Amino acid sequence: MSDTQIIVGLEIGTSKVCVAVGEVSDNQVVNIIGLGQSKSRGVRKGEIVDASLVEEDVRNAIVEAEHMADVEIRSVFLGVSGSHMRGFNNTGVHPVVSADREITDADIQDVIKNAKAINLPSDHSVVHVIRQHFRVDGQDGVLNPEGMLGAKIEVDVHVVSGRYNRLQNPIRLVSGLHLEVDNIAFNGLASSLALLSTEQKELGTLVIDLGAGTTEYAIYSAGVIKHTGVMAVGGDHVSNDLAYGLKVPLGRAEQLKIDHGSAIIDPEANNRSVDLSTDSVIPGKKINLGHLQMIMSMRLQETFELIAKDIEQARLIDYLRAGVVLCGGGARTPYITRLARDVFNLPAAIGRSSTVSGIKNALDEPEFATPVGLIKFGAFQSQTTPRREGFGRVIRKQFASLFGGKK
Amino acid sequence: MTENQKTFSSGEPVIRLIGLGETGVKLVETLAMIGPEGVESHSLDTDNRSLSRCHQSKTLLLGQAIPCGLGTGGDVALARAAVESDRDRLAKLVEGANLVFVIAGMGGGTGTGASSLVARLAKESGALVVGVAATPFDCEGTRRCNQATGGLRDLKQASDVVFHFSNQDVVQMTGADTSLNNALEIANRHLCESVLGVSRMLLEPGLLNVSFGDLQSAVQGRQSLGSVIHVEGSGEDRAATAVEKMLAHPVARGGEALQEASAILVHLSGGEQLSLAEMNTVTEAIKQYASAVDLVVGASGPGRDEALQVTVVIAHQVKLTEVEPDLSAPIESQSSEVANVSFPETFMPSGETSYVGLGEDSGGSRRGGFAYTPPAPTAEAITPELKDSLIEAAARQEPDRKKRKKITQEMLPLEIVSKGRFEKSEPTIHKGEDLDQPTYIRRGMVLN
Repeated sequence: MSDTQIIVGLEIGTSKVCVAVGEVSDNQVVNIIGLGQSKSRGVRKGEIVDASLVEEDVRNAIVEAEHMADVEIRSVFLGVSGSHMRGFNNTGVHPVVSADREITDADIQDVIKNAKAINLPSDHSVVHVIRQHFRVDGQDGVLNPEGMLGAKIEVDVHVVSGRYNRLQNPIRLVSGLHLEVDNIAFNGLASSLALLSTEQKELGTLVIDLGAGTTEYAIYSAGVIKHTGVMAVGGDHVSNDLAYGLKVPLGRAEQLKIDHGSAIIDPEANNRSVDLSTDSVIPGKKINLGHLQMIMSMRLQETFELIAKDIEQARLIDYLRAGVVLCGGGARTPYITRLARDVFNLPAAIGRSSTVSGIKNALDEPEFATPVGLIKFGAFQSQTTPRREGFGRVIRKQFASLFGGKK
Repeated sequence: MTENQKTFSSGEPVIRLIGLGETGVKLVETLAMIGPEGVESHSLDTDNRSLSRCHQSKTLLLGQAIPCGLGTGGDVALARAAVESDRDRLAKLVEGANLVFVIAGMGGGTGTGASSLVARLAKESGALVVGVAATPFDCEGTRRCNQATGGLRDLKQASDVVFHFSNQDVVQMTGADTSLNNALEIANRHLCESVLGVSRMLLEPGLLNVSFGDLQSAVQGRQSLGSVIHVEGSGEDRAATAVEKMLAHPVARGGEALQEASAILVHLSGGEQLSLAEMNTVTEAIKQYASAVDLVVGASGPGRDEALQVTVVIAHQVKLTEVEPDLSAPIESQSSEVANVSFPETFMPSGETSYVGLGEDSGGSRRGGFAYTPPAPTAEAITPELKDSLIEAAARQEPDRKKRKKITQEMLPLEIVSKGRFEKSEPTIHKGEDLDQPTYIRRGMVLN
């Protein structure tokens, strides 16, 4: 254990709380050694609405993961989401002032600092600033300008921001459980980290995380993140639509969705019905399968169409040569890839965390993409920031719990 | 139909205009009035009323059995059923034609639902099918816009090329202050220009002929979106003026449309004075933007007036989804937020203010304004005694009403669609649409 580092990803989702424990070796290989999950009861549309229930659920999931991985979890990388989060691109400019016009590390730091100076609404705070490409005197696509000659250096960054208070809610909750929050990451970004290979990022891919409360999406092109977005529409909406349209209780609708759901309408389904006569709650009721599929298909199609519209507005649809990758619980819907293919006119597939190793379960299930991605995010972070000493870490934790805040 | 066969054999291509739905019928009427000779116009609708206004074109009532001439009321399925029931008559209508224009306004029932089926019938009969479609303003509601997008997609699949004009483009071209009448006129003119331009190109006797075959090879089987630019230049430097107008035309999008073209047909008609230099000016200007495309140039002979008329048919080979952002480019180049807000600002307030006014009226000094008020008594009926008694009654009523107000039971908002589990959560509003409500309800689907 001495040369490996334990990194934990925690996602407080709308339908469940998910914890993944990863072992990161010195050469940045991630190995998943533990998983924990529990049904989430206090979250709506990706945001906490009942803190005490969520606290209990997080504790259960953490305990399960600790048992499985046989480690003690002290700190986590926390995934955040919600309709308040925004992704946009920004550019920083910096003139190179040195006499020989050589770009130094200081220049690079300065230009990134400029790019980070974003005019955000007062209640928003920045979650990520991700570097895309540098431009030196208008020459595009420079990956590392250090040592080059130029008069003006620019950098494009992708910024993800969210409402400060709403971001603090899950952080405070986790801190209240005596867990340190190493850092937070946008769920959409985390799942794309887990699923995409370098080649897919290079070719251009759209990752859609179909969660229960929210749907997040992220676009990679030319190796960098180009666009992110989140919509507070998800699997819960599908269930709710079904409950309303078929006039069944929500729990039953959820079950119908899982048992008989489909993302596209089967023309044969109109003649078939599901018998609910054995059901104790609503005895003697029959449900037309065609209606069920239509309600579901309309909702999923609309969700995809809204994303497609947003991508078209961002003028990125032509850059998605590697197609669409789906994850999250919604990716389990039968024929969902066919619907995505029809809407986006692109090949679509269900994502697999191919870039990490470990428990097979964690890698194949589309639901675990976000926690696994959080571990990868954590691995990148610890690569750039120096490893902490054991003692210092204990002190930090003490302080953190004293002040009840993050770091 | 034997008559048509004859014209076919005489060498001229047989061109038919088929207008579907209210918008389509109106356009066909206009075209039939001003259109070139040798073009047959047919107006088809499910609504008797709109057909009764047709004088220039042959009319056909669709679905005599199903909507019984009452229109579809925006129901696409009903329109499809009507077409299906009249399949034989429609097949006869398109039989023997070489070129069929299917003209429809998208978003409603008949135009949206029937156009693709009619286009398919025409295709099956062996004609070259050119769709001409208008799509609604954004303010006409999401359902209509979605229906229009679907209809356009279907029409595109069924026809060889679709000339599409979005009414929303008029707003961007002329600003939102334009009167509705004016805006619709501009949109109609663009659509008519497309049809006239193409038919003139084919029918006018030419020095350099653009033949039916040229058009066919440019658009056949592309299932693409196309556009037509028709401009006139007059005066000294008429070729340069025409080129300038052509590039300034909204459809050209500053030459961008030419760049994306896969084939371009240019037709000039300029009377006796049409010079080689003028032709050169026009084609060079086009080649600047589209050097590698399939360019066909035609020129028609004497007999026209002094103005130089230039018709450019542009065929794209791009998918609909990829063209869409370009068509609406002017809004989206601004911040998307501004774009979203701008429509409600321009269109909603008129409705909103009237509602606000109503509310003030009833909620302010004259509370209870919605309650039944008996008709005002006529002048001779008001005797002094009656007047007094009325005032007394009013005085008695006043405090009464106040008391009643206190115990009035609170009314729940008239919420037709319950939001179920999202009742208490922050609503997800996207472009004014509440996404928490079931999609199938917002899109008007019926569970039957």
